[in-house]
Amino acid sequence: MPRPHQNLITFSVDGREVQAPENMMLADAAKLGDVEIPVFCYEPKLGHPVGACRMCLVEIEGIPKLQTACSTAVKDGMVVHTQSERARVAQQAVVEFLLINHPLDCPVCDKGGECPLQDITFGWGGGKSRFIEPKRHFRKPLELSPLIAIDRERCILCYRCVRYSQEVAEDYQLVLLERGENTFVGTFDGHPYVAPFSGNIIELCPVGALTSRPYRFRARPWDIEGSGSLCTLCPAQCNVTFTVRDDRVLRVLARDHHEVDDGWLCDKGRFAYQAVHVDERITAPMIRDGGELRTVSWERALAEATSGLRRAGAKTAALAGGGATNEEGLLLGRLLRDVLGSPHLDSRSGGAVSLADWRALSDPALAATVSDLEFANAVLVLDCEPVDDAPILELRIRKGVRRNGVALLLASARPSALDPSATETLRFAPGRGAELAWALAAALQDGAVDAPAAAAGASAEEVRKLARALREAGEEIVILYGEQLLDGDAGGLLALADALGIAEIEGAGLIGIPEAANGRGLREAGVLPNGGPGFSAPPLGDGLDAAAIAAKLGDGELSALYLLGVDPLRSFPDAGAWEQALEHATTVIAHAAFLTPGVREHATVIFPAESSAEKEGTVTHPDGRVQRLRPAIGHPGDVRAEWRTLSELARLLGGAAGPATAAGVSAELFASVGLYNGLELEELAGHGVRWPARAPAVARSGEAAAKPKLRRAAQAKGGRLLLGSYRSIWAGPEVEASPALRFLAPRQRVELSPRDAAKLGVLHGEEVLVSDDQGELRATVVLRDSTPSGTAFLERDLARDGANRLRGPLVEVRTAPSGNGDVETLLGEEELTHA
Amino acid sequence: MSPAPSPSKGNWTPGDDQIAVQRAPEPGGAGGAYRAFGETLRGLKTTFARVVEGVNTIQYPEEKVAVYPRFRGRHKLHRFEESGLEKCVGCSLCAAACPADCIRVVAAENTPEMRVSAGERYAAVYEINLSRCIFCGYCEVACPFDAITMGHDYELSDYNRSDLIFTKEMLLAEPLEATPLRAQGE
Ligand code: SF4
Ligand code: SF4
Ligand code: SF4
Ligand code: SF4
Ligand code: FES
Repeated sequence: MPRPHQNLITFSVDGREVQAPENMMLADAAKLGDVEIPVFCYEPKLGHPVGACRMCLVEIEGIPKLQTACSTAVKDGMVVHTQSERARVAQQAVVEFLLINHPLDCPVCDKGGECPLQDITFGWGGGKSRFIEPKRHFRKPLELSPLIAIDRERCILCYRCVRYSQEVAEDYQLVLLERGENTFVGTFDGHPYVAPFSGNIIELCPVGALTSRPYRFRARPWDIEGSGSLCTLCPAQCNVTFTVRDDRVLRVLARDHHEVDDGWLCDKGRFAYQAVHVDERITAPMIRDGGELRTVSWERALAEATSGLRRAGAKTAALAGGGATNEEGLLLGRLLRDVLGSPHLDSRSGGAVSLADWRALSDPALAATVSDLEFANAVLVLDCEPVDDAPILELRIRKGVRRNGVALLLASARPSALDPSATETLRFAPGRGAELAWALAAALQDGAVDAPAAAAGASAEEVRKLARALREAGEEIVILYGEQLLDGDAGGLLALADALGIAEIEGAGLIGIPEAANGRGLREAGVLPNGGPGFSAPPLGDGLDAAAIAAKLGDGELSALYLLGVDPLRSFPDAGAWEQALEHATTVIAHAAFLTPGVREHATVIFPAESSAEKEGTVTHPDGRVQRLRPAIGHPGDVRAEWRTLSELARLLGGAAGPATAAGVSAELFASVGLYNGLELEELAGHGVRWPARAPAVARSGEAAAKPKLRRAAQAKGGRLLLGSYRSIWAGPEVEASPALRFLAPRQRVELSPRDAAKLGVLHGEEVLVSDDQGELRATVVLRDSTPSGTAFLERDLARDGANRLRGPLVEVRTAPSGNGDVETLLGEEELTHA
Repeated sequence: MSPAPSPSKGNWTPGDDQIAVQRAPEPGGAGGAYRAFGETLRGLKTTFARVVEGVNTIQYPEEKVAVYPRFRGRHKLHRFEESGLEKCVGCSLCAAACPADCIRVVAAENTPEMRVSAGERYAAVYEINLSRCIFCGYCEVACPFDAITMGHDYELSDYNRSDLIFTKEMLLAEPLEATPLRAQGE
């Protein structure tokens, strides 16, 4: 659907002539003339207004009755009065009515001081109360969930939270129960409201009925300061405001950015800030001394790291990930390539993609923006699960489907939370996204579909059906793909983009969700085995990719490993190989905030990592927006800026000293990464800048129509199942370390189809052993109807028993030897987290 | 730039803008005697007049000035008499009202095991920095629960500035010595 065209019209409000887009709601249009109309239930982010609270009544000439400004579209020549006697009396009456049942709780209420009800009562209320009868009473405060407290006495029944749950998050959990004056907000059967995006209702509620439990009674608006920055817990890089009191982060609020997050946050982003101030966090440098980790001074740790790196020299490899910034990526590249003379660095866990393909993929003509997801004719979600990989994008897709009729087409190995909204879904074998892209491209060009479809483990008929749906949907097609698709080959994706003619069409494009929060930025800053800054040819020739680094470390050809914000043992595939690699490495230097297994067992030097609330630098959003991180608090304990550590190490090893300030490093980044040329730190303030919007399209060199590289998908056989894996939204050490979120931290579970489960004789909630020739792990069975039979899905990136302990492609599932009566409790938790 | 030549006594020549100094008459003669003794006697007249009035010195600190009931001295926090619960709910309104920004409140939640105040929340930390306080009494006006009032204590000197940060315990405690109050109509 093309973006709506807007006509400007002129209307008058309180005697002022105001220009506004036609059909804008009066409540918004009046703001353009600096007239404020009080609202409670109206919130443009929630979609169509409902007119539930009547707070916005205004007088419009020519209409006998007062009208609700939130649901009246503005027309040319309209004459509106918001302060006439009639309007004033009506406003006072509505305030008085809303306060009839509202308790006098302001001194104990967390909303006090930032409460629309307080402000509107003050500004538009009558100033005195005539009500002496008893008010309605509920038990209070209650837990709506472990994260949200509900105080039903304070609720003014504005519907915002219910509409959010029904129409934005579409989790359909919140409802209004009972009717009339007994109405209250709750979930259908009283279960806790646990959902990936539940925290947004705290910000939506215009009164103190829904408040954050972790923030409960922590501070008042005049005790705190807001500090704008970004969430770097996932690639969506939502814009946030950190609420800071006494140099501690107490809360995270959304900082609306229509092109990034649309004003929402997921619960991980909203509550995992607690991990900034926990005791488990590493806040001082450590070295391994006689097998034990010991806290040491910075001088000692730097000396240890320097000598280790000097010994290894060109036999050093490096991995970067997590929330590492572009600047850190650049400095890491320089440390490795220029100072140590080693070309082996990577920021991805999958197979290397050729430099030509990277350049082609970053072509501005192929780039889509986040808001294109909302206005496209069709969105193709390819080999990713938005709610897990970049949660906030899921809300955007739902918005497009619900409000603009975007056709959603889904092709993934694992059943998706978006399945019910999709017009077309297709399942293929885990890890065969690239083959599926080839198959789709072939189907679109009426080529041979059978071979690639079979390799992808999908039926050719369904691939053709999906291709038909793509072609019929319209021109503007946005493909949202997961990075796992780029495992060694981007040809299929590029062929698909070509088949759809995406490069020529305005509003069509690709958005790739990388695995690391700043995956795209690290790539562009040159943390690739085969690419320097800005996808330039690497100065020392091609290095090894992550899997090869593990192998070479294992057999002693490499001796040192530098880990910038990643723990390969936890988050990279093939934990066995990494275990070997780390075992054999003589020096392992890690920037880490938590003692994850690889760091705890194998690091020889640990530098404390900064949290996103402390970091300074830039990161790059999957759509190419370079955004700026600003420190909200000082470094706790002995933590130092990580870019400083990297440039200090380079200096100690005899390299150039480099800039002395973070801004200086950013300036160097913009100068040395060709794609970022011309950017300035100042212009990134607030909303960041999309570099593809400025860069000219790359003339793609001769369509040498790459030949499909097809790997045949394995088949389930002999009772063994095909292994797939996914990283849940709740994976990550930050969730495990946050007291409020810990209850959501996943434990290994295996998703099976009921048919396979029946064959294997296992039940939902039962504990099983999943094994292959590499290893074995314990998991709880989760039966999902939509799981394709013959596949088993396990979770990656867990504190223990992560899916990367198995290599696949086939695994065996069998009942765990009993002896622990854990089943009950596991089931209980299961229901809580998925309720 | 070369330094300006420093003026020395010998070569100082005042310019055109000389100041004419008017001097008092030289002492001496009858006028001089009057100036020496007459004025002194006039001053002494006041002195002797006060002497007959009696002693006005207050022997502080043995003896204290009684203050008016509405005197704004050091603050007090209050408890409910029957239950002993603190009246303060930690709402921070006093901190918002304080023009000197000298009140710090950190609230916490009452639990069934530990009930401190009558409301849902209580002040886990309540501090007034009395070296900054201007004793305006706005905090007392702002408090919705009459939990804080201006007391009568005015003996607030100390050896150390940080000792002037009064904590909740200090503000809740009764002062060691009650400040005398003026009686009605005094
Ligand atoms: S809980 Fe808040 S957001 Fe929900 S209906 Fe009540 S007042 Fe509105
Ligand atoms: S979606 Fe990602 S970036 Fe946004 S708040 Fe959640 S974790 Fe943070
Ligand atoms: S008396 Fe005035 S200055 Fe002193 S604490 Fe109260 S409000 Fe602040
Ligand atoms: S003293 Fe009064 S105003 Fe201050 S925090 Fe306590 S209850 Fe609130
Ligand atoms: S804001 Fe218009 S009816 Fe609620």
